[in-house]
Amino acid sequence: MTLEDFLDPLISALLLAGIYAAMSMGMTIIYGVMKIVNLAHAGFMMLGAYFAYELFQRFHIDPLLGAVLALPVFFLFGMGVHWLLVRWLPKSDQPTLASLLLMFGFWLVLQNVAYLIWKNEDRSITTSYTLSSIHLGPFYISKVHLFVFVAAVISIVVLQIALKRSWFGRSMRALIQNPYAAQIVGVDDRKTAMLTFGLGTAFTGFAGALLAMLYSFSPDFGRPFLLRSFVIIVLGGLESFSGVAIGALILALVENYSILIPHVEASYQPAISYGLLVVVLLFLPKGIAGLLERKWRAG
Amino acid sequence: MSNWFLLRSRRWTVLTILLTCLTMFFVGSIPAMADDTISIGVILPITGREGKPGQYQKEGVDLAIKKINDGGGISVKGKKYLLKEVFYDDGSDSAKSATLTERAMSSDNVTAVIGGYSTALGEAEAVMPDRHQTPWITPGAGATSIFSHGYQYVFGTLSPIVLLGSTTAEFLGNLVDQGKLKKGLKIAMALENTDHGIDYGNGIEQWIQQHPGYFTVVFKEKFELGNTDFSGLLQKVKSARADIFLSDAHLQDYITMHRQYLQSGMHHQMISYGARGPESDARKALGDGTNYIFAGIWWSKSLSYPQVQRFINDYKQFTGHEPDSWYPATAYDSVRMLAAAISEAGSTDKAKIRDALRKVVLKDSLLPGAVLKFGSNGQVNYPFLIVQNQPGGKVEIVYPKNGATAAPIAPTP
Repeated sequence: MTLEDFLDPLISALLLAGIYAAMSMGMTIIYGVMKIVNLAHAGFMMLGAYFAYELFQRFHIDPLLGAVLALPVFFLFGMGVHWLLVRWLPKSDQPTLASLLLMFGFWLVLQNVAYLIWKNEDRSITTSYTLSSIHLGPFYISKVHLFVFVAAVISIVVLQIALKRSWFGRSMRALIQNPYAAQIVGVDDRKTAMLTFGLGTAFTGFAGALLAMLYSFSPDFGRPFLLRSFVIIVLGGLESFSGVAIGALILALVENYSILIPHVEASYQPAISYGLLVVVLLFLPKGIAGLLERKWRAG
Repeated sequence: MSNWFLLRSRRWTVLTILLTCLTMFFVGSIPAMADDTISIGVILPITGREGKPGQYQKEGVDLAIKKINDGGGISVKGKKYLLKEVFYDDGSDSAKSATLTERAMSSDNVTAVIGGYSTALGEAEAVMPDRHQTPWITPGAGATSIFSHGYQYVFGTLSPIVLLGSTTAEFLGNLVDQGKLKKGLKIAMALENTDHGIDYGNGIEQWIQQHPGYFTVVFKEKFELGNTDFSGLLQKVKSARADIFLSDAHLQDYITMHRQYLQSGMHHQMISYGARGPESDARKALGDGTNYIFAGIWWSKSLSYPQVQRFINDYKQFTGHEPDSWYPATAYDSVRMLAAAISEAGSTDKAKIRDALRKVVLKDSLLPGAVLKFGSNGQVNYPFLIVQNQPGGKVEIVYPKNGATAAPIAPTP
């Protein structure tokens, strides 16, 4: 194996980790505050992809700008979904069957509405820079992958700053730590939940718009990314935002390097990813964040 | 009195039921030929992943039926019958494809079925014809496995995929003989994980074994259809450091894979995606990125036969656009073969039509060779054309030489 063979997957993994983290952040936000496993995550990503596509096709708006525009639109959409459906769910400290079924059913509705509007043809967004790459020595870095990575990282950094410095962010973190104590100190859990669901949906729609720049999509889009998001948030620690970033990086590295193992075909990549999920659930149920926290406390 | 009435009433009821059953039995065994029409089932995907090629094939079928009907219909023992199409969209779903084929053959009692675009859908449908003893012609499935079960009612107008693979290798070998490529080049193969992909790979490897010294296969791996991310596979292809990249993929996978191929800055001296290459959807999605890709296809509008030009004109008038790649042509000739067989059989008896299909020869076929005849296993065996996307949006026939419209550009600049 040459140095190029070793570094090429590393570059790919780093670029991939950024988008993986962005797409999983929405799910973590919603789970952390509301203890809802958002199975409609894939549907929101799919809608984000189509949102960027329609803006590109009809108004020639660059999909990167389309992704940014997706944030407020999907924020409002998420709040609407919460008001219409999610607020009726019973509160719980654990994910409930009712929440799983509700979000799964809503995902199916979104999918079928998308089939009606856009049929089942694969769509793709091809910009002037989609097929071009930056040449650095023996390495080629796809421009669109780089732009998506930068957008994803900026969005995560902005989110982290907002969560640390804003009253809403502190309310969210309080609810994640201890919902009862948070209510006692005056956090309006209903309003925070609605805003949280909106924020989580906004991030998911944003991620979907970014993914549309990389992959072709149909109404079934989002399913493999939903499963990857599960792996990432379990790997990172279900309620930890920094854990999501670590989990995304680990998954991207495993996916890119596992295929270099002799006799392991590229088609086994998903099996390896989901195998990682099983290993983490068995040996690290609180994820990497839980492990680091234990070590920090022990230290 | 009331007992007598009841008894008589019951007798009439039983008699009516018996007559109804007998009628259904006899009517059911005679294919639908009411109102001077002959019903043929058409099961193709016009939605789903295979929707685009399926739509083109349906257009070929519809055009053929229209031409036959405009000419008065099929002559069966001196009487003319119009063709009536019973169409179902299988949505690119194998299970649905099989179910709809069965429905057409049983409930709809069609005389024959044209169906099965793509090997996966064709394989699903292919179990029904013998079960329901109804002739079935596939214009879009070419895997050898479909025709190797000994089915009696299964026919296909696509030449075997193994031949596609060996023709691809033969074309590359020809480039070596011309001095355009060096001998001993390395080939990387990425094949779809279907019988189609297996056959394609086998065809290439068989040719290489029979012509030692020309090429070596340094990488061969399968991938699942419908993948959104081929970066891992392409990473391995890149690491193989091959000179030639040969893939066998469906249209959407070709577009996705080639986009990622271009984004990763990869380059090979020659590149092919099997039977995909010149499709307008790929040109729209990838622009000049599709230049120099070559493909082995079952038909090209550049063929010089007069019937091809007539077909293109009719097709443009009928659909409003030019034929996209080979899809409509094989479907068009499938209907013509069926019509010829019905006429030859002089009957709509399905067994007679089956026997006629085995003998019928279409002498003005659109397909390469201009003569179409089913082989003993039901599959045709005409030669493939190799076409290459060339700059300026051109798609030229580059092999075989006697039908070529331009010289191949090799190696890729």
